[in-house]
Amino acid sequence: MSEAITAGHAFLAVLRRDLSIFLSYRTRLVSQLLTSVFSLTLFYYVSRLVHVSGFNSPSAYFGFVVVGISMIGVMYSCFSIPELLRQELVAGTFDRLLLSPFGAVRSLMAMTLFPLMWSFILAATTLGLGCLLFGLQLHWSTVPLGVPAMLLALLAFLPFGLLFAALTVLVKQGSVGTSWVIALLSIVGGLYFPVSLLPHWVQTAAKLQPFTAATSLLRHLLVDSSIGEGAGSSLLKLAVFAAVLVPASTFVLAAAIRLGQRRGTIIEY
Amino acid sequence: MTARSLEAVAPDAAPVARDTRDTATRDAATQDAATRDAATTLHPAAAARDAFPLAIRSVSKRWRKDLPLVLDDVDLALEPGTVTWVGGRNGAGKTTLLRIAAGLIEPEQGRAEVWGVSVRENRARYQTLVSFLPAGDRGLYARLTVRRQLEFWARISMVAPARVRQSVDRAIDEFDLGELADRRVDRMSMGQRQRLRIAMTFLPDPETVLLDEPLTSLDDEGAAVLMRAVRGLLERDGVVLWCSPSGERLELSFDARWLIDQGRLAPA
Repeated sequence: MSEAITAGHAFLAVLRRDLSIFLSYRTRLVSQLLTSVFSLTLFYYVSRLVHVSGFNSPSAYFGFVVVGISMIGVMYSCFSIPELLRQELVAGTFDRLLLSPFGAVRSLMAMTLFPLMWSFILAATTLGLGCLLFGLQLHWSTVPLGVPAMLLALLAFLPFGLLFAALTVLVKQGSVGTSWVIALLSIVGGLYFPVSLLPHWVQTAAKLQPFTAATSLLRHLLVDSSIGEGAGSSLLKLAVFAAVLVPASTFVLAAAIRLGQRRGTIIEY
Repeated sequence: MTARSLEAVAPDAAPVARDTRDTATRDAATQDAATRDAATTLHPAAAARDAFPLAIRSVSKRWRKDLPLVLDDVDLALEPGTVTWVGGRNGAGKTTLLRIAAGLIEPEQGRAEVWGVSVRENRARYQTLVSFLPAGDRGLYARLTVRRQLEFWARISMVAPARVRQSVDRAIDEFDLGELADRRVDRMSMGQRQRLRIAMTFLPDPETVLLDEPLTSLDDEGAAVLMRAVRGLLERDGVVLWCSPSGERLELSFDARWLIDQGRLAPA
């Protein structure tokens, strides 16, 4: 029990460390908020400029895309984990994590806390700014359900970051493939436009990852958009992705670290 | 086992750390280790083995198949309360030896043990007992203050939550970091950073400390602080494995001195 409590404190210490580092860059918070405002402004006027089939009004498309913008922030946070690991490798701090009783795998899991929590806060802020500045209509009766749905979505997304972190341990590059994976997922995940506009085979691919299900579910809960396969089905899909991929990706990450230790490449950066 | 301070060791003292194949002394050490194991409860099997605070057993390491062995069947055992120096030219394999002893990398053959247990058998316990100061000035978070850095390190070293503040305050005090406690690392000199790195190494009260060129960037005052920490560890029957290219700058009396040459250890 005391071991679990001490480990819990270690998890929180990693979170506190990342928060301290984040706050030490004073302009970062303002910069990220401005990015949200610019994205909202851009899509607000795009929604008024072009007619998008399947949407009754410009406001309906704007609501659709605001949730997509919020989700892309979450996606970026997941895929920032390999880059954070790369920074630890270069700074030599990863060696310290690896040689601590807390261990490298638990440290890396803990390192995901701050970016995911921050992306959650940023997503909520984006929605709030959408309401305040551009008149976004939220479906308030189901908005609270968006919180557990988002947490489940984060659990389902997390393994992607961990798998790329494993790749970073092996090839020493933080951004191997992450940018094109994010671009691909933003298309098949239906972040900017409905998946139904895509070719049939791409629609099939869209069902094979959790981002589409999570985005559809959150749209349904936040802006009351229709959900093709049903909320229960989306929830189940996210739960299965999380249940299967979290342990699998943790195992892969541990194996990559072990391989690096055996080859001696863990000390390289 | 009598605790010994650095001053108490005569300059011409016979090396205590020696080849693990020296059966007579090994048996005596095993008895000591068994007593120690009862206190540390590292591993129930440790008492039955040839257990030392640190033992390197038949360790070989090769970086690539087409390169020669950087460590070739190296054996070394450190008895409680001793400090051992390993020297050698640049690239001789000193850092590789320390990295293997720390559990950072794995050897091709052989193993490093703490009280008879390897890092593979009980990683968390091994890392609780062993602390490694790598060479250079890496391993610090540039944007964190000294206090935050030490707190973070105490937490991931799994220091009991109730003891964290006390451990951090003690480290700040013992390593003369009081004036720097609220200063960010990227605003500190190299010597000050090195003092912080050393404080982090000793903070979790390890039993086995591995030091790779620890005097780098330290002024006389910093070196004295390090000596005080080493002395305190030896008084608690801890061990130190100290690696540096040459011993001429050192004002230490080591219990044993070894040189690595062509992958092999030889008495210095």
